[in-house]
Amino acid sequence: MPATLDKIVSRFKSADKQTRLELLLDYSKKLPSLPERFQQARDHGFNRVPECQSPVFLFLEREGTGLVLHADAPREAPTVRGFVALLAKGIQGATPGEAAALPGDLLDQLGLSEALGMTRMHGLTAMIGRVKRMAGEL
Amino acid sequence: MTTASSAPQAPPIESRGYARPEVLVSTEWVAGHLKDPAVRLVESDEDLLLYETGHIPGAVKIDWVTDLNDPVQRDYLDRTRFQALLRARGINADTTIVFYGDKNNWWATYAFWVFRLFGVEKLKVMDGGRARWVDEGRPMNTEVPAYPAGTITVAERNDSAIRSFRNEVLAHVQGRGQLVDVRSPEEYTGQRMHMPDYPNEGALRGGHIPGARSIPWARAVNPDTHCFRPASELKQLYQEEQGLSPDKETIAYCRIGERSSHSWFALTYLLGFRDVKNYDGSWTEWGNAVRLPIEK
Repeated sequence: MPATLDKIVSRFKSADKQTRLELLLDYSKKLPSLPERFQQARDHGFNRVPECQSPVFLFLEREGTGLVLHADAPREAPTVRGFVALLAKGIQGATPGEAAALPGDLLDQLGLSEALGMTRMHGLTAMIGRVKRMAGEL
Repeated sequence: MTTASSAPQAPPIESRGYARPEVLVSTEWVAGHLKDPAVRLVESDEDLLLYETGHIPGAVKIDWVTDLNDPVQRDYLDRTRFQALLRARGINADTTIVFYGDKNNWWATYAFWVFRLFGVEKLKVMDGGRARWVDEGRPMNTEVPAYPAGTITVAERNDSAIRSFRNEVLAHVQGRGQLVDVRSPEEYTGQRMHMPDYPNEGALRGGHIPGARSIPWARAVNPDTHCFRPASELKQLYQEEQGLSPDKETIAYCRIGERSSHSWFALTYLLGFRDVKNYDGSWTEWGNAVRLPIEK
């Protein structure tokens, strides 16, 4: 796992359920806006994560030797926004190989399955899968 | 209206011809009761954290997963825990509870339905929901209010009046009873086993319960105003187009019983259907069960 993400996981692991939700909410406020250059693709519906209940768009690109994840998610879906922002931070600068090897049970490791409830896990899980696949294709 | 509103006007609730108009209140009414100690606003959303990003001042939050469901068994809370939940939100026997939420009040009507299982009276829904409140530029804040513990006493949960279980639904099918499938047309036909854009939450088979009419839940709402459509339009939809009779027992279902609680609300309170039940097992039960009949 990329070192930053590993740190985030430890932070979540040591927190109680309520604190994990607060951390997620903090992340949701920190998601940078989608850079202008992706806007057109987004408006055409490219790179949407179809499993997500809200319109979520992910763009993964190389910057130097590492990766940067850009994303767009609506403000009315703070849970999704928060998780995207967490992922973006966690894999920033990671190699494509590291991102492709993200653990599929990341949400469990973060203790979010427990905090959010299982019925809310599918879209978020799909997002991890999407990032892994995109990283594998880079 | 004095607000910086970008929301299109909706006809007044009293003018819409509903059977029981008292279950709806307007955003305007809520704005006038923000400091009313006899009124408790309850926000219920799909997104667990939406309330935390800002809500109507004074509103408390009730979450459909973490608050209303039993954490172990697939069922709702029992009386003791439900009563504790309400008391913790400062609800008394004479409190008027006003629900509102995201997605056309989908989860607000779900919470309303669960509250009715426990016989809680004085329940209302804010017409137009969170979206209308926001569109009208009304105040929001992130302050979580603290109320003194409430004293409400709730009854034992009584499922028989408004909740259906698998075997009852099967008997209802065999007796050619009235059924409403409120999922998307694609889920109804079995082309997909989950809402468009939503994850597949685990059904092995696609299709619908034999004899069910397809009436997607959100058709009861005007997408521009976010408010419920007037009775004449609802009647056109449910009774004239789909031939449902308000005098016959009706069972509504969706995937897990949440969208169908919205249709249950519209049929029961807005159109005055006599006997409507929500089958919360819905497709995630029916589409997985062995030997239950399915139509495609």
